[in-house]
Amino acid sequence: MAKEFSYLNFNRNKEYSYIGKSLKRTDILDKVTGRGKFTADLKFSNMLYGKLIRSTEAHARIIKIDTSEAEKLPGVRAIITAKDVPSIKYGLSPARYDETIFCIDKVRYYGDKIGAICAVDEETLYKALKLIKVEYEVLPAVFTPAEAAKEGAPQIFEEYPGNINTEIHLEFGDVEKAKKEAYYIRTDRLQGQRTVHGFIEPHCSIAYWEGKRVTIHSAHQSAHYLQHHIARIFNMKEGDVRVILPYIGAGFGGKLDVSGLDVAAVALSKITGQPVKMFFDLEEVWYNGRARHGMDMKYTTGVTKEGKILFVESEIILDGGAYTGLGVASSYYAGALLTVLYDFDNYRFDAYRYVTNLPPCGAQRGHGQPHPRYAFESHLDHIAEDLGIDPIDIRLLNARRANTVTPNGYEVKAYYLKEANEMARDVSGWKEKKGKLPKGRGIGVGNGGFVTGAGYCMYRTDLPHSIAMIKVYDDGTHAVVYTNAVDIGQGSDTVLTQMAAQAMGYPYEDITICTRDTDLSTLDFGAYASRQTLMAGWAVKRAGEDVKRKILAQAAEMLKVKEDGGYRFGKLTPEELECEEGIVYVKQEPAVNITFAEVARAYFVKHGVLIGRGYYHPGKLGGTHKGAAVGTSPAYSSATQIAEVEVDMETGLTKVVGTWDVHDSGFVVNPQLLHGQVHGAFSMGIGETIWEKVIFDEKGRVLNGNFAEYRLPTALDMPYVESLVVDTFEPNGPWGVKEVGEGATTPTLGCVANAVYDAIGVRISELPLTPEKIWRALKEAEGAKEKGGK
Amino acid sequence: MAEFIVDKDGIKRYLVTITVNGIKYTKMVKANSLLVNFLREDLDLTGTKKACEQGDCGACTVLLDGKPVNSCMVLTISVDGREVTTVEGLASNGKLDILQEKFIEHSAPQCGYCAPGILMSAKALLMRNPNPTELEVREAIAGNLCRCTGYVHYVQAILDAAAANQERKDG
Amino acid sequence: MYLPDFEYFTPNSVEEACRLLSQYGSKAVAIAGGTDILVKMKKEVMAPEVLVSIGHLSELKKIEYVPGKGVVIGAGVTHNEVMNSKILHEKYLSVSEAAHQMANNQVRNLGTIGGNICNAVPSADMPPILIALDTTVKIVGAKGERTMPLENVFKGPNQTVLENDELITEFVIPDGNFTGSTYIKFGLRASGALAVVGVAASVQMEGDIVKDARIVLGAVSPVPVRAKEAENFLRGKKAGEELFAEAGVIASGECRPISDIRGSAEYRRDMVRVFTRRALLKAVNEGHV
Repeated sequence: MAKEFSYLNFNRNKEYSYIGKSLKRTDILDKVTGRGKFTADLKFSNMLYGKLIRSTEAHARIIKIDTSEAEKLPGVRAIITAKDVPSIKYGLSPARYDETIFCIDKVRYYGDKIGAICAVDEETLYKALKLIKVEYEVLPAVFTPAEAAKEGAPQIFEEYPGNINTEIHLEFGDVEKAKKEAYYIRTDRLQGQRTVHGFIEPHCSIAYWEGKRVTIHSAHQSAHYLQHHIARIFNMKEGDVRVILPYIGAGFGGKLDVSGLDVAAVALSKITGQPVKMFFDLEEVWYNGRARHGMDMKYTTGVTKEGKILFVESEIILDGGAYTGLGVASSYYAGALLTVLYDFDNYRFDAYRYVTNLPPCGAQRGHGQPHPRYAFESHLDHIAEDLGIDPIDIRLLNARRANTVTPNGYEVKAYYLKEANEMARDVSGWKEKKGKLPKGRGIGVGNGGFVTGAGYCMYRTDLPHSIAMIKVYDDGTHAVVYTNAVDIGQGSDTVLTQMAAQAMGYPYEDITICTRDTDLSTLDFGAYASRQTLMAGWAVKRAGEDVKRKILAQAAEMLKVKEDGGYRFGKLTPEELECEEGIVYVKQEPAVNITFAEVARAYFVKHGVLIGRGYYHPGKLGGTHKGAAVGTSPAYSSATQIAEVEVDMETGLTKVVGTWDVHDSGFVVNPQLLHGQVHGAFSMGIGETIWEKVIFDEKGRVLNGNFAEYRLPTALDMPYVESLVVDTFEPNGPWGVKEVGEGATTPTLGCVANAVYDAIGVRISELPLTPEKIWRALKEAEGAKEKGGK
Repeated sequence: MAEFIVDKDGIKRYLVTITVNGIKYTKMVKANSLLVNFLREDLDLTGTKKACEQGDCGACTVLLDGKPVNSCMVLTISVDGREVTTVEGLASNGKLDILQEKFIEHSAPQCGYCAPGILMSAKALLMRNPNPTELEVREAIAGNLCRCTGYVHYVQAILDAAAANQERKDG
Repeated sequence: MYLPDFEYFTPNSVEEACRLLSQYGSKAVAIAGGTDILVKMKKEVMAPEVLVSIGHLSELKKIEYVPGKGVVIGAGVTHNEVMNSKILHEKYLSVSEAAHQMANNQVRNLGTIGGNICNAVPSADMPPILIALDTTVKIVGAKGERTMPLENVFKGPNQTVLENDELITEFVIPDGNFTGSTYIKFGLRASGALAVVGVAASVQMEGDIVKDARIVLGAVSPVPVRAKEAENFLRGKKAGEELFAEAGVIASGECRPISDIRGSAEYRRDMVRVFTRRALLKAVNEGHV
């Protein structure tokens, strides 16, 4: 048998000029001086201020919208409702286009969009909002999948009978056969809660028209998708929609769907002929929703005596909220990637996404993954415990290996989950701690990972996923990288600039990046599915190499080397040359060199302009089954996290004391930024495990739509964090890169939950693990013990 | 009490003089003007960010007479005659504050929306306590929520800035 | 969010403030730090037409020790000023520590002790420890002044005995015989979380005998309450973990918690049990902390 090709330790001895280094962020000066502009910081002359008019019923027919009092208020410029805007439906997949700009005849959740209003200033705007009266015929509402599934339950949409919005039934291999062969079978059922993204900057959007064209400045994760949706909704050409994204106060998936602000801003600025700024108050971010689905997850797994997984059967019920948006992808993602993590042949995945009268759910960091990872990692720990196997050993046994194909059709190249587990085990002191810590203290492990960019565009198209262009100044002293990759804080501007510098052989300090403007820059699908480093990276690398190719060709005509006592002038071939850090030199005789700038200038004299071009398309990926496209990717990351916790056995209060993450991210372009992603992912994951949950009252109103009662971890809550990487090389990524941003959140919920279980000896089957839940579980366990004792 | 005029709707407009980043501004404001809006809208100092508007997130943190406060919870009129420092006032004559330098070195901010607030909290800390412990740093920025960073690089940067300050003093 | 219009007054004295409050009656509210009132106004929970500023009045800003009287804290003192007060560090570190646990640094720089009391939020952090130390308040109104135990100030959630024209001007922690006191806040996050349960305890020890004790419970009743049965139970007994555990059980029977998004009544009651024991132990073993 041929030796397995290994991408491990591939980069160990590589030294690059500009990548693999923690260079300074391109945007950092703007961000530490306060001069960087976010959307809400922008002002245009004659600008109006607008807000959405929101439903105050969870499920109701709209009888009458009375705007007359508001219209009388001086300073109110326009009030629009469904009748004033296109009634076209939108969403992610055409089969589930179910949302309109404003509600047409009925509202489907408390906070649903009824209309929009704009006025000359914020004060008038708020006063006017209060004067708008909506008359409803209230309909019975459903707030949980269980209620939605009941016979005779109120129907939220005609097109979703039984309130089921997405139903998935997939089987790979032969689960029934595997059941017969299994040594041990166990079933666990766990619940993950509805959360919000928790970015600090609320959405904001400003639109204005110039002739037939509209310009939108928005806090959004994708200039292209926003452009695409606006064009489709308003029946315009994409070229007539210009999207500019200023700095974005993070997204985590929450600024990817059509928020209502953008469409309302476009519509209102059209009517008024003035720029309109639409904005959310923080609480509205909760009503906008589009965050993590609540999930009810049941896993049945059969293993051999040694713990090798033979089959997995899973059923996942998702609380979708009122509309679909990205929720159809969330549903498929919920089952898609388990097979990447662990190597087994027989897999059944059933899912039901219900619509309910709550804000719609969608994508949040790790899209569809963190809850199923939490459930399965908990489940796997129980299996290991039942069989008397160490939790890390069962993971080592089942971890997928490099150069394999999953039963659901994903090709996995570099993949070093096993090594990540081993490294995490060693740095965390697992062997000294596991099973040896005192009661109330525990250690747990969790695995995860993610796609490095989605294999397919969100809508059907054959466009490249990313295009980049690099333009060199005519005197060769500066270069600009053009790409609409979206830096929402993760650092793509920096990483792509590093890649451009490396590819061109040109100083990082002399490159700026022009992004997030559909007029000025080039197509990229934006920041989601952890795609920028690999996909925009390919485009930028190719554009940089294109520049370099041109420079070397030009330089070959300019350099001369001594040969046989004479000089060979202008006879060098480009292959004999190299360009690094702004110097072009002869490989055999580096002392013979010339500056990039001089060569570039000569190129300009001869050719007029020096531009490099590059683009990337991942090609056709994946199988042919229904939903096969979701989860496809050129590369898969993996990660192991270990957490150590301390639980107060009387109060149930959990304190995370230490965390270790080992990520298989491929080649790391900027270590500092990578670790920053891991730190942030941990903090979000810890929050979601212990504190965070969106709470509603009996009317479907959000009770904790603020940062006092929806508790993100503070600096005092964050534990010691250690972030490490396995040195790997991904053949499908430029210089071997993979992702880190989303994957790093996926193991956290499971690993912290497992640590809590280790500390207290009781499994809490529902997130978050609040002190009260732990307290109750401990009390119940004690009660059961006493009862059993008698 | 600040002088005022009454507009034709009977609303009072007060004449306030506030020193922001060392510059004296005299402006007319209504009683309901909040400091965060005064800074952002009236003075165009948009480095101070607005997010929760209820004192929970710290994005709008500024120094009021040297102490960090949430500018979303301060009435502009109550600041009449007082001194405010915003993130725009940290650097002087083009020279960055040591905190800003260290934030750059550690790539502390990611999306950067919370960064101005954290800078101001950290600035107040170092003015009061030039040599803080890690716990004191965490405590000083515990009122500044950040979703991107887990605070790790922020804490390191602030400790580093304190150390650099000490070195400068000793040297 | 936005604030509706209101009239704003900056009186030069407490007396003038009271006169203004009296003049505008129920339309007017006194504002000090504003951390509570402005949020309530933004949320439209309250809509005063007149705000009378008292935060700037220097007469409300003192912290001093008056021999024979006790520690006097002006109502306009901020939480951070309480937290950093040398006098309190010396006399009652427990009061500084309670202030330290309120909200976050920025809010503590604005919010005043008087405001924390007058808003009468059941989960407020200052009342339990101050009541445990037998604090009295001076109340000044348009018609005169009165003094009463802080314990008697609260009538219900967001309700106090203060008349419309009255202000709390100072708190006096009398020189007493307590040998130890502490406040334990149990919140759902390390910073910026309201108390699910707050327990303050003060003890007067003679040797290892508990001569006297106060136990004050926050966030588990409409107003901060003393666990008087537990206090009685402790008197004259020999200190010890078991005794305090029993006191905790008694105290948990004395509160009237509600269930809300931060915790169920059942959980809160049990946390009273736990934290009463812990607070007593701490106050006995560590003094005023």
